Parts: sequence; structure tokens; C-alpha cells
Amino acid sequence: MFEFFKDGLLQFLSYSGFGNCTWGHIIMICIGLVFIALGIIKEYEPLLLVPIGFGIIIGNIPFTDGLQVGVYENGAVLNYLYFGVVKGFYPPLIFLGIGAMTDFSALISNPKLILIGAAAQFGIFAAYITALLLGFSPMEAGAIGIIGGADGPTAIFISSKLAPSMMGAIAVSAYSYMALVPVIQPPIMRALTTPQERLIRMRPPRAVSHREKVLFPMMCILLTAFLVPTGLPLLGMLFFGNLLKESGVTKRLANTASGPLVDIVTILIGLTVGCSTQATNFLRPASVLIFVLGAFSFVIATASGVLFVKFFNLFLKGDNKINPLIGNAGVSAVPDAARVSLVEGQKYDRTNFLLMHAMGPNVAGVIGSAVAAGILLSFLY
Amino acid sequence: MKSIYKYIFTVVALFAVTATFGQSVHDLRLNEMMIKNVDNYADEYGRHVPWVEIFNTAYNTVNITGCYLTDDTTGLAAAGKKGGIIPSHWYRIPTDQKMYMPQRSFLIFYLDNSPLYGPYHTNFSPDSSSRTHYIALINANGKELLDLVEYPLDLRDTCCSFGYVLDGQRDAKAFKNGTRKSGELALLNEFTPNSSNETTAKESKQDELKRRDKYGIGMALISMAVVFTALIMIYIMLKIFNYVTRRATQKSKAQEQAATPAKAMASKAGEEDDTVDGPTCAAIGTALHLHFGSMHDEESEVITINMPSKHYSPWAQKELTMKKNPRR
Repeated sequence: MFEFFKDGLLQFLSYSGFGNCTWGHIIMICIGLVFIALGIIKEYEPLLLVPIGFGIIIGNIPFTDGLQVGVYENGAVLNYLYFGVVKGFYPPLIFLGIGAMTDFSALISNPKLILIGAAAQFGIFAAYITALLLGFSPMEAGAIGIIGGADGPTAIFISSKLAPSMMGAIAVSAYSYMALVPVIQPPIMRALTTPQERLIRMRPPRAVSHREKVLFPMMCILLTAFLVPTGLPLLGMLFFGNLLKESGVTKRLANTASGPLVDIVTILIGLTVGCSTQATNFLRPASVLIFVLGAFSFVIATASGVLFVKFFNLFLKGDNKINPLIGNAGVSAVPDAARVSLVEGQKYDRTNFLLMHAMGPNVAGVIGSAVAAGILLSFLY
Repeated sequence: MKSIYKYIFTVVALFAVTATFGQSVHDLRLNEMMIKNVDNYADEYGRHVPWVEIFNTAYNTVNITGCYLTDDTTGLAAAGKKGGIIPSHWYRIPTDQKMYMPQRSFLIFYLDNSPLYGPYHTNFSPDSSSRTHYIALINANGKELLDLVEYPLDLRDTCCSFGYVLDGQRDAKAFKNGTRKSGELALLNEFTPNSSNETTAKESKQDELKRRDKYGIGMALISMAVVFTALIMIYIMLKIFNYVTRRATQKSKAQEQAATPAKAMASKAGEEDDTVDGPTCAAIGTALHLHFGSMHDEESEVITINMPSKHYSPWAQKELTMKKNPRR
């Protein structure tokens, strides 16, 4: 009787998490807890870090293979939810929501700000070159480089196609750095600008008519998708969402896209991406390199945005000059990067409100990173 | 004014150029052919007849309906003229859903002089009695030669296939001059109907990229150029927006002024300026608000109580019967 009891207990333990736990699992669970803590205590991108952090915990609960519970096991519920990440249909849905939330007025009223969004994409390609030099294959290098676009959905979309095995590390890296935008960007901005430049006051944006706002998404999709059709899933949904918002006659659809739909997809994408970071796939030297390269691409993207504004100012006069503190907003971390511009600007002049101006390059960064993603796909996929 | 036309012209020209270079029937090639077929590829009736393979080199679907296949291009010039008659010995590819060739796909036509056998069977057959030794593909307009492959005469007696060494890769300049680049067409080592002629191991896209652009600098430069091009195009479009809006505003202002001549005159003389910018409005608004807000030294002492009217029955409101969520 005692033997039976002992055998049964041991068998049960061998199926339990305690019987299958490794140091890798424990480390990953700790990383998940750190993410949750950063989200809740520090309030760094809580809408992303809390689901991802909890997903990391779920994905790293040890279990015996074949129980159909893991995210990589066919037939598991998590595997079905993960399907949207693997096949890349969550990111375009998030872009639909982003489009329905974004106001492009700042960009429409001051079109030259769009070029900052283009310059900041240099981070992607600088990281691509560095990753190649470190021995990654072109496809892996492309997937790592996209972290510099500071756009989580785009990073997931591209890595699911170019380097699915690295997707977990790339997504976690991209979202981590997006959450750390207020920490990473200010020192770079300060290092690359002079006190006089930080005090530049920009001309207030003009009022943008309803007609312009409606025409903008339609013209943009024609111009960008003709040039880079591979970016169609992201660009198409982004501008469609924006048309729903700006048309004024589809408020219900716009509200759904920017509210419940984007919330649902954010929950699913955050949780499943977190789950995909199982210790066996995640804790590898390559993941450390991905994190380092991700940080590098972020730094280069921020620096190239700021430096481009300084260069651009050489050709501008009077109140047409641009405050280089909005250069960082060329990365597409909306609206955090723009908020950083505002906060930094106000440190030097409390009456200088850069938020509205910074939103121009910020939304241009969204378009720029989607275009860059399309180019990477057309070259490498 | 001139600059706006420049912007509009750039955008229109860009789309026009795009339309001109759009992928079409011009991307079709007579990729491979077999003139003497003894025991090779069989048609749907099990017969071994001569065949020709068309390859769509484009990256989009191409409809080949209406194009012509022939082994005798006599009458090409006449057919292309207005009211010209298409020679009866040309085989017109019939309308069929299967004639939409997907990107980079192949399609076989049997050169068996049996058009009644189906849409893939032509009305001519190249044999020893043929005057010519080529197969041609002509555009639906009847005047444009899309491709013409001249095969060696001994192919009529040898069971061997002939075609492009690299799938559909043709030197455009040489073809326009009626010649061929040496080595472009050759007897093929293997029969590959409905598949690629390139049977040896091919370098993968990744390996090619690694070899040709080891450090990724080329790709980075091209990509940045494309990103800038895309966003500069949007910039031009927004500039047009700005211009049109400014013009519209000026126009409506002018109309307003015309409607009130006295006001317009005063404005013209510089005595009064209608335009008040945003910050000024905000300052005036704030001043008025502060002014009227400070005049509350004496209250009216009238209390108004609004009785809320119920336009619903509490019985119908299921929400009211539910347990409320606790509030912090």
C-alpha cells in the first residue's frame, strides 16, 4: 500500500512543474516578474509589459511534453492563439487600431517633419550591417535590425517571416526598449544638441481641414504601397484605420478598431509572444546579442533623427527652424518618444511645448518603419 | 504657383511611368520546345506530340488570352495595320480561365495541328514539311512579336528539347535587333516541361545576397533611399495639400471681402485687420473669462431644481437588478 502510494506520488511529481524545473525556467520566470514589476510599479508601457511578463511566466511553467499545453505543441490552446503571431495577422490588426487612434494633423500642417521619420530608420539598417558582421545570416540580421524601428507589431511581423526561431527574443527586446524610451533617449538627445538648439521655438502648426485629413490616408496608401507592396498588410491597415477615424461617418468602426479590437489583439499578442520565450528557445547566447543589437539600433535611430534635424536646420531660416529635441521622435514609439521630446524641451524652457511638433516625426516614424519592413521583406523573404 | 504645378506634374508623371512599366504579356517567353516527341511528355490524350512551353517571367498574373502562336509570321506587318486581317495560320489562344498565368508559372501548348482537341492544341504542327524553323508568340494586337525562338533544323529529327538556358532570360537589345546573345538559347540536357529549365543546384537568395553584399552596405543604402523616396512622395503630396488649402482660404477671404466692400476698404487701408491668430484669441478668451469670473460678488440666490423624468420602466432595466461591482 505504501509502495503504491509512493509510486503514485513520484509519478505525479514527475508530471508536475517541480519535477521538470530547470534553472532556465526559474531565470525566465524572474524575467517575467521583472517585466510585470516594471509595468505596474514604474508604469513603463504597462499595456504591453504586463501581458508579456505574464506570458513569460505562463510559457516557462515546466511540464512534460505531449500534454498539449505548451505554445509550441500542436492542438494546445496557446498554440492556436499563437497562430496569429506565426502567420502575422495580429500586427496588421494592431496597425488598424494605431491608424484609428493617430492624428496626422501635425504632419499635414508641417510636411518637412516627415523626413525626420525617414532618417530615424537608419537605426534599422545600421543594426542590420552590425548583425551581419557578427555572423548572423541576412534574414536573421534583417529581423534583428527592425528592433530599431521601435515598433513592436512590425518587429513581430518581420521576425515571424524572416527568423521565426528568434521571434520571442526580438519581440521582447523591441517592447523592452520601447518601454525604456524615456530612459534611453534623453542622454543621446542632450549629448547631440547645444543649449541654444534646445531653446528653438517652432512655428505653431496651422489648422488642418477635414478634407485634408480624409485625403491623407488615401493618398498615402497609394504612394507607399505602389513603391513597397510588401508593406501592404501594415500600411494598408494603418491608413484604413486612419480613414475610419477621419471620415467622420464611421465612428462606430473607428471606436471598435481603436478600442476593443486593439485591446483584444494587444492582450493576445502580448501573452503569446511572452509564452513563446520558453527557456530552451530564449536562453541562448544569440538572445543576448539580439538585446545588445536592439539597444544599438535604438541608439543609432535616435541619434540619426537628432542629427538629421541639425543638418536640416542648416537649410532653414527664422521660425522655420526645427528644434532638434524632436529628432528622437522619428522612431515610431508612439507617443512615448514625442512625450520625451516635450519633457526634455521643458527642462530648458518651461513655456516651449514640443509635443504637437514631435507628433509629426513620431507618426512619420510609424509610416517609415512599415516601409522599411516592406523593403526588408522584398530583399530577404 | 509654378512650384505647385511642378509637384503635381511629378506625382502624375510617377504614376504614368509606373503604368508604362507595368508587368504584362511582354514578360512572356517561349521557354522550351520539343519538335520531335517520340516517347516524352504526353498530352491529355496520351499522344506524344510536339510542344512548346510558355513562361511568365513577371511577378504578377498575366492573361495570355488573344495572343497568337505560330510558326509563320508572314503577314505580321499587315495584321498590325488598322483593319488588317489576322492570318488564318496563326493560332489564337482562346478565352479560358486557365489562360491567366500566375507569376513565374509555365504553360504547355501542343503543336499538333488539332485545335479541336482543346484550347492547348494549336492549328499548326512543325514537321519536315514546314518552311520555317521557329515558333513565335505574337501580342493580341497582331503587330507585336513577344518572342520568337529559332530552333536548329536537326531538332526535327532528334528527340531533344530546346530553349532558354536560364528561364526566360533574354537580352532585350539583341532581341529588338533580331539577333540573340550567344549561349542564351541551347539544346537542354533534360526535358523540363511545366518546370524550370535550370536543373543544376542554384544559389539561394540569401547566399547570393551574402556574396554580392557581404557587409549589407548596398542593401542599407538602397533601403534608406527607398524609405526617403516613399516619405518624400508623401511630403510632395502634403505640400500640394498646403498650397491648395492656402489658396482656398485666400479665395474665401476675398469673396467675403467682396461681399462687404466697406469692410474690405478699411482692411485695405490697413485700418483694421480681420485676421486674428490662435494665441490672440486664447488671450482674449482668457481675459474675458477672468473678467466675468471675478464679477460674482452678488449671487442671484435663485436655486433651480431639475426633476429628472424617467423615460423607462425600472422593470425593463435589467442592469438595475444586477449586483453592482464594488468601487474603490
